[in-house]
Order: sequence, then C-alpha cells, then structure tokens
Amino acid sequence: MIEIDSKCTGCSRCVPVCPFGVMHIVDKKAQVGEGCTLCGACVQVCSLEAVRITREEGPVDLSAHKGLWVVAQTLPLSRKGAKPRLRPVTHELLSAGRGLADGLKEELCAVLIGENAEGLCAELASYGADKVYLVEDAVLADYNTDTYAAALIALIAKHKPGVVLFGATCQGRDLAPRVAAEIHAGLTADCTGLSLKEGHLLQTRPAFGGNIMADILCTRKRPQMATVRPNVLKKAVPDPLRKAELVCEKIHIDEKMARVKVLERKLDAGHPGRKISEAQVVVSGGRGMRDKERFKVLEELAELLGGAVGASRAAVDMGLKPKSHQVGQSGTTVSPKLYMACGISGAIQHIVGMRSSDVIVAVNKDPNAAIFNVAKYGIVGDLHDILPKLVSLLKNSR
Amino acid sequence: MTGLDSIARGLMLDSLRDYAKRRLPYEELRRLDRENEFPADVLKELYDPEILGIHLLLIPQEYGGLGGSTFDIYRVCEALAHIDLGVATSVFATFLGSDPIRVGGTEEQRRFWLGKIAKERLLAAYGATEPDAGSDLVALSTRAAHVVKNGKIAGYRITGNKQWISNGGVADLAVILALAPGGPSWFVVEKGTEGFSANAHEDKHGIRLSNTCALALDDVFVPAENLIGGVEGQGLSQAQAVFGYTRLMVAAFGLGAGWEALETAIRYSRQRIQSGGPLSQKQGYMLKLIVPHAARLEAARAFIEDTAHRLDAGKHGLQTEGSIAKLAATEAGNRAAEDAIQALGGYGYTKDFPVEKIKRDVKITCIYEGTSEMMEMTVCRGRWQEHLKSRGTYYEEQAAALDRLHASCPTVGADSAALALRALNKILEECRLQRLTRHQHVTMRLGEYIAQAETCAAFCRAASADHYSETVRFDAQTWQALCRIHARETAADICLKGAKLVLGAGAMNPGFADALGLGAILAKQAGALEDQELAMKKLAESFRSR
Amino acid sequence: MNPMKIVVCVKQVPDTTEVQVDPQTGTLIRAGVPSILNPYDHFAVEKALELKAEHGAEVSVLTMGPPQAQAVLRLALALGADRAMLLSDRLFAGSDTWATSYALGRAIRKLGRTDLILCGQQAIDGDTAQVGPGIAQNLRIPQITFCDQVEIEDRQLKARHHIDDGHEIVQARLPVLCTMTPPQDYRPRHPSFPRVVQAMGKVLETWTALEIGAEPGMIGLKGSPTQVDRVYAPPQKEKGVVFTGTAAELAGRILDILQKENFLTP
Repeated sequence: MIEIDSKCTGCSRCVPVCPFGVMHIVDKKAQVGEGCTLCGACVQVCSLEAVRITREEGPVDLSAHKGLWVVAQTLPLSRKGAKPRLRPVTHELLSAGRGLADGLKEELCAVLIGENAEGLCAELASYGADKVYLVEDAVLADYNTDTYAAALIALIAKHKPGVVLFGATCQGRDLAPRVAAEIHAGLTADCTGLSLKEGHLLQTRPAFGGNIMADILCTRKRPQMATVRPNVLKKAVPDPLRKAELVCEKIHIDEKMARVKVLERKLDAGHPGRKISEAQVVVSGGRGMRDKERFKVLEELAELLGGAVGASRAAVDMGLKPKSHQVGQSGTTVSPKLYMACGISGAIQHIVGMRSSDVIVAVNKDPNAAIFNVAKYGIVGDLHDILPKLVSLLKNSR
Repeated sequence: MTGLDSIARGLMLDSLRDYAKRRLPYEELRRLDRENEFPADVLKELYDPEILGIHLLLIPQEYGGLGGSTFDIYRVCEALAHIDLGVATSVFATFLGSDPIRVGGTEEQRRFWLGKIAKERLLAAYGATEPDAGSDLVALSTRAAHVVKNGKIAGYRITGNKQWISNGGVADLAVILALAPGGPSWFVVEKGTEGFSANAHEDKHGIRLSNTCALALDDVFVPAENLIGGVEGQGLSQAQAVFGYTRLMVAAFGLGAGWEALETAIRYSRQRIQSGGPLSQKQGYMLKLIVPHAARLEAARAFIEDTAHRLDAGKHGLQTEGSIAKLAATEAGNRAAEDAIQALGGYGYTKDFPVEKIKRDVKITCIYEGTSEMMEMTVCRGRWQEHLKSRGTYYEEQAAALDRLHASCPTVGADSAALALRALNKILEECRLQRLTRHQHVTMRLGEYIAQAETCAAFCRAASADHYSETVRFDAQTWQALCRIHARETAADICLKGAKLVLGAGAMNPGFADALGLGAILAKQAGALEDQELAMKKLAESFRSR
Repeated sequence: MNPMKIVVCVKQVPDTTEVQVDPQTGTLIRAGVPSILNPYDHFAVEKALELKAEHGAEVSVLTMGPPQAQAVLRLALALGADRAMLLSDRLFAGSDTWATSYALGRAIRKLGRTDLILCGQQAIDGDTAQVGPGIAQNLRIPQITFCDQVEIEDRQLKARHHIDDGHEIVQARLPVLCTMTPPQDYRPRHPSFPRVVQAMGKVLETWTALEIGAEPGMIGLKGSPTQVDRVYAPPQKEKGVVFTGTAAELAGRILDILQKENFLTP
C-alpha cells in the first residue's frame, strides 16, 4: 500500500516525478490516483518522508529452492543432425552466474535442452557449471515454445532452483515469460546487471527507453527468473580442466505438444564475425554521415580493422543502413573491444546500446555532442576530412 | 454547443500534428513561404473526411458537421498555428466565411450552404473589408441593388471592391457584405459568377502560404435566396455577433505561434553552450528572453479558455472579452516571436530556423480581425460603460473576489492581481473625474491596461483551480510561479503607467497617487527573482532539445 | 460460421522519446510528456483491422490502467475497432508483468470464444515483452512472438516472425496469440476527425477485478512476484580525453590510439 501521512505539506515535488502521472495535490496534500505501480519514485523525492510504501511480507519458506540455473541456448542448426553450438550469451551467463553461485554458496547448473547436445557439457563446465541437466529428445532438436516450456517447467518443479537465468535473445524472451506465467515466478526482462542483496538476486535493467535504471528484487517467490541482455555481462576465460556432474533427465515430450509449425526458416547471410552483435570492432555512423556515398568510408574502415559496420537510429531512418545494423535501445546492444562512433550525437537510445564497449572512440564536429560523455577518446573535427585520411594511413601502415 | 470531450479533442489534435509532421516538415513550409505558394492539395487533405475533415468541426451536426464547441475550435486553431499560420489562416477563412450563414442564415440557408461546405469540402472566404473600410465596417461602399421581376425582388446586383480577403483567389464561395437598400447585408457569392473576380495574390510580409486577394464585383447578380437571413439590414449585427468568437480564434493563433517560437528558443537554449554551460541555465538570457513571454502567453491562455467556456455555456456576444483575448494573446505572441529571434542570435536571423518565419507570420494576428489599436478602443469602450454603470465598483468587486481567492490559495499571486485591479479602478475613476477619455490616447492606453488586468485575474483563477485544464503542460508549481510573475508585473505596470498617463493628461489631485497602492505593489515584488529562476528551470526541463 | 473474434491488448505509455531524467534525483521528469498508444500496440491494432477488412471479424481492444487510459481505447475505436474494455481497479495497482498477464487473461476469458489475440511485442516504457507470452500461457494457447506479418486462411494462422538469426514462416491453428513488431518504416496511422467522433458512440466498458473473476492473491502487489527496489539515472562514464586539430593531425591521432590500444595487430 502507498500512504501519505499528515506530514505532507503539498509541496508538489512528488507530482512531476511520478512515472505514471498519478500523483496529485488535492487540498494541499498529495493524493495517489489509480494506476500507481508502487515504483517508489515519490518516496525518493519526499524530504519529509511523508510518502510510505508498505509491502505485505508474509513468511515464505524459500529454503526449499537451491541452485542457480542457466538455461543454455544453442545456435540454429545449419542442417539436420549437425552438432549444436552454444550461443555466446550462455558463456556470459555462466561466467556471471559462477560468481553469484559462490556468493550464495549454491551450485551453478546449466540446463541443456536439445538433441545430440551431450558434447556441449564440457564447454558448459569450462565456463563454470557445477552440474549440467541434460534433456535430450529428437522432438527437442529445434527450439519450440511449447515443447521447451514443458520440459523446463517440469525440470523446475522437480529440482526447485533458486534462480533461473536466460539470455534475452528472441528465444529466451519467448520462453521465459511462458514458464514464469505457469509457475507464478517473478521474471525480470532484459537485465544488464546481476548482483546479490541479502541473499536475493538483485536484477538491474534499463526502462523508459534507457532513460532510467531500475533494480528489481523478488523476495517472496522462487525461483527468481531473469532474462539477461547479450553482450553486456563479461565472459570469463574458460577453464578446460573444470568438470561438471552430468544429470540426464528423462522427460517425455509429446510431439503433438508443438502447436506452432515452422514452414520455412531464413537465416541472415554473412559470416558471424561481421555481425555487429558479435564483432570485436564496430564502426558506426550516424546522421553526420549525411548520405550513402559518404557512409562508404565506414565500410572501408571496418574492413581495415576487421570489424562490422553499425548505425545509429538516425542513420537507419535516413536509409543509410538496414535496421539489422542499428545499435541501441530499439536495435542491437553491442559490447565490442573497440567502438568507433562517427557523426553520432549520442542520444540516450544509442548510448544504452554501446556504452559497455571496452574502448569508445567518437568523431564528431560538435564539441558538445553527448557521445563525448561516454567516449574514452573524443575527436572533434569534420569526419568527412578525417576519415579518408585515416583510411589511407591505415592502408600505408600495413 | 456540446462539442467533444477531452479525449476526442486530444485524438484530433494528435491526428492533425501527425499529418503536419508527415506532410509539412519545415523544409516544405520554407519552400512554400519562399515561393509565395498556396498549398491547395494540403487544404484538400485537411478537408478530406478520410484524412482529417477539419472543416467539419465548425459545422453543426444537424448539417453534416461534427459540431465542435468554441473550446474545441480554439484548440484546433492553436494547434494549426503551431504548424503554420498561413495554413491556419486558410482554414480559419472558411470558418469565418461560413459564420454569417451559421449565425444569421435562415434554416433553409444553413441546411443548404453549411451542408454543401461539409459535404463538398468547400473553401470559403469572408468579404467584409474594403480599400477604404478596414476594421470600421460602417464606411462600406459596396452596393447591392434590387433586381425586380414581376413586381418581386428576384435578386441583387452587387458592385464594389473587397480588400485583403483570405482565400480570396481560391474560395469556392464567398460571403460579401454590401449595402442593400435596406442597409448592410451579407450575400453568398459563388466562384465563377459572372462579374466576380479575384485580383493577384498579394506579396505579403508573412503568412505567405495563405491566399490573400482583392475581390472585384462588377454588377454581379445573385438570386434573392442568397441574401443571408432573408431580410436586409442585418449585416452589421450578424458580423458583430461573431466577433467575440472569431477574435478568440485569432487569439488562439497568437498563442500557438507565440508558443511555437518560444519552444524553439527553449529547445535551442538547452543545446547552445556559452562559456561553459547551456544558455538554458543563464539567468540573464532566460529571464529576459523566455520567462516573461511564457507568463504572458499562459495568462492569455487562461483568458481565452475562460471566454471559450462562457461562449459554450450560451453567453452571447462577449465582444469585449473576445477583444481582450485577441489583444493580449496576439501581442504576447508577437513579442515572444520577436525575442525568439534574439534568443537564437545569428541563427534566428536566418531562414534555416523557423523563428524568423514565425515572427513574420504572427504579425498578422495583431492586424487582421481588427488591429490591436481597434481592440484597445473596443475594450476601453466596453469596460468604460461597466465602470460608469457600476459607479466605480466594477473592478473593486473583482478585486475583492481576488482577495478571497488569495485567502484560500495564497500561491498564485492573487493579492498582486487584486492590487492591479484596484489601481486600475482608481485610474478609471480619476479619468472620469478629470474627463480624460476625451483624449484618444488615454482611451487606448486604458484599453491596454484593462486587457492586461483582466488576463491577470483570469490566470489567477485558473492557476488556483483544483483541476487544471487539459491544455496546461506544466505542473502546478510551475504554472503558479508563472502566474505570480505575471501578477506582480501587471500590478506594477498598471500602477506606474497609469499614474504617468493620468498625470500627463490631467492634473494631480491630492490623494490620487496614494490611492494607487504603489507601496503595497512594490512590497509584493519580493521573491520575483526566485520565481523567475524557478520558471526558467522548469521551462528548460519541459522542452527537451531535439 | 460466426465471424472471427480478435482481441488486441494495448497499453498507454509515456512517449519515452520525450522523457528526461533529473540527473540529481534520478527520477523521471514527466511534466508535459504526452501519453500515447504504445507504438507496437498501435501496429497490432492496425493488423487486426486489416484482418477484419479481409475476413470480417469483431475486433475488441483491451487495456489495463487508470481511467485516463481510456484515451488509447478511444484511439483504437476511432481507427475501427468495434468495442473496448478497460480493466481499472485500485486492486490492480502495483501489478508486475505476471499479475498483468493474469488479469488480461481473465478478461479475455470473460469475453468468451476468441480466435486471435494480438499484442504489441513490448511496451516502450518497460520494454519487457513478457505480457504477451504470459497471457498465452494463462489461456493455454500457442504463441508466436515478434511477428511482422500475419495472415489467416481456413482457421490456420500463418505468420512471419523474427528469430535470433533471421526469421521464420510459421503456422498454427487458431486460437493463437501473436506479439507484433512493426517493420522499420512503420508510421502509426491516425484517425480522421469524423472517425474520432464516431468512436464516441462505440461501446467502452470498464471492468473491475471482481467482474473478471480475478483472485485477489493473483493481482496487484500481492500477485506480483517482483518488486522495484530502486530507480536511478544511468551512470555516466568518466569523461575521456578530447582532441582537436587539423584533419591530418586528428587522423594521425586516431591511428596512435588504435596502436596504443592494440587494435592494429594483424
């Protein structure tokens, strides 16, 4: 419940900060209208501590739930019967999960669903898994919402994990909410950070288009579930000597459970190193690139640096690059070793998609561009003069 | 008029803004402005009931329209002015051209002509002004002579010239004010009628997207049923009857264009860095070029809305109120646009930024539908009567009401507003005692003070309300600060300028200076800077840079 | 055969492109920020109306929110939806995505037989993309997420949807729930003035928690497993170094940086 007590003077400071616009001053006292989500923004600004949110905390036995799970994801099979490969976000989740599991003094477990997947167990172990739950079935060769959800729900009911993490890929974001809905578990979407708070998982995520960060807790229910944005958490160095206990789970999944049939699948062309989400170097252009012709210098630069070409939303809207190259809140999040932002002003929507890059170099002629706030190296000048010169310097240095 | 609810209004405004964003980006407006081009296709789309159907709002439901209220139409006018005043003027000309029919037409005429405008998406024009008869319609020289057939009046032959007619060259029909044997009367004249022609499109300072022409009527025959109302001699009262309403719409233009300029300046001020920080944080800049305009425009808004609600509640006329609204809003808009150029510095002086165009455009709002000077006369004339009739209690009673308001809501500056009204009352009374209104200058200045005082009072009432109008985009703290700023300014202005006026024109009567309450007014200035700084911060927060 | 029944779930959101954060307090500055129909939902409404135009259907729009959320329902009605339902009740306050999915699921059950449910992929204020699948699970019907095209033939739904490395064409028998994601060049369509007025006469019902038969423990704060612990402004990175100079100097400077940071090792 949210309560306003008599200390309230109607100063109205809480009115504009309400993300949902439900705070009003009536008769010189704050009043909460319908639509309050108890987000607590008003509590933070009230210097008189006149706004209080009280949550009903019933005694819940959470101790029955133990272990931190990572739901492994694999890349789509190139052909029937091919060996599955792990999606990089799985490595990231295990790497981060390791530290969390140690903090909780619980096991880190990987859940692997598929066909012919046993060969991946060693890789899962090398990134920190103590245990691998393996569910293998011919029906599970390809991802399907219904069959995978059924397998996972069953597994969770049986082993009662404390935490279940998914990569916030299309697949993870398709599967996780379905499972959470069924088991009445808390699920936090698209997290960019995970940590522990008093034995609970503290999940950090951007909201309102990246304008704001929120820390989310789930203190009364188990498991605590989260999808985690790829390319944000740091991948650990794998330890090939690490071993994990393999637990093969016999879960019967009926073929008829799969209610959505795939008629046709088209995978994006291009070799993976040049996909912006996986490239080590991303050279991005924004509105300042002006036109397609002048954008080409970035392709050349990316080629020379062995990287991929990205674009800001403005550049995509201008038709300089297809949407698949868009970096940012409504595009792809990247965290390469080098991010070069050329002619990008640095709107918040863009920044949230690239700020975790190791080294950011920004080229912009406006010295006040927001992009310089996140750049390790800022280059103030006309990129149409600078970049061609850089290209020839790079060519000469080879 | 019942009109729409706030949700429907909001949806319409969203649709209108979305249309403008797609169809009329600044580069396109700039081109049309440069080439002095009337965007006929845009007007067609604005009238297309599948795209927008904007003209339907002014036509009552029983004639195939949507029956918008005054408040609805004020909102649409304001939104149009945010887009482009030329386009707004063209839409407004149809509103205006259909008004004599709506107000003075017979049931049959209304059904026929309004139904036709609704269904056939006709552009209309309002033909009152003449080369030698501007805001003063009494000097009318266009004549309408009887055409008698079989002993009955079968029609009229109209001869004369009309000047500055919006939509003149593009309208499908025009209403023409002409002197018939029975007195001034309105006639509907359709495009293509023999002898009816439009001169070349004027080369104007602003609103160049709007088509403005002189009209020539050379022995133009119209049938008797085109005489609006069916009775001669009703023309002036029909024209007068809508002034309260039409001037309110021009007020909305001043408000919208003024805010558009101010918004551009505020957004710019957040980006432009000068000596280490954005201009939006520089007191010397914001408190001079931004804050006072926001206060004046919002005061004008409060007055416009008050008048719109009264008209919608069935009040007739409200000519003085319409004139106050127009004077306050268009002058505030004009000044805001002027300072917006200054606020953008060199950029503001170029055509790369829209403020230069807004400044040229908004000037017309101080001229058409009655110049600011006409408004000052009308306002003074109207309120002078009230002052005399009430034996000097008209403003005293309003001041007392503001005192009561201050007691229940001390945060809107109603105390200053009460002082302003009392000072005004003393000045009016002094003018009466010394018979100073024989000087035209005095009357017109009084008109200005009256408009300022009444908008100030309206702002205080609006800012102290429990629920704000849907149009207020600021929180209570900001709006009340703007209200206090305006109230303080008004009290000081009226007291000092009024004293100067009276003393300049007449003699110093003992006790007059003391009665103005200068001491109290000056005491109320405490905290002015703090309020302005708050307003500056909030204004900058409310408009992010794009 | 009865006409197809389509339900579109929508949400009113603040226009996040207009939202700003107070850097001192880390709270949102919301004054003057317009509320809009979530653009993903706007696309879902338009898709539903396209299907209606093609096959004939009754299109209902459903939202949960405060009374002012009616505005987005009215927009959907003006665009051509047939009826609208607002779930509004203080008991819903504090609902997270779980409790929201549950409540919307209950409301759709109350509507009776439904053939197709369309949701926007996600709302631009929360960006969770969890409510659509949550509703599908509550109703136990199949889901297809991230669709940009849907068509119906002989009670079979065919959709094109995004997957991680491309897209798929998939098929399922009705009833199905699809979450919709607009194409790149999508611009929401807005209704004309007469349509807005027409919508004033259409059915807009308000339902309470009791009316949809929601269990008190499943809605609002009680039914929500997650809680917001804290909201704050995104941390700003430390300011780096900034270089100015001639184009040649700056190009050389970048080359130095690339060398220093070891990006030029072949």
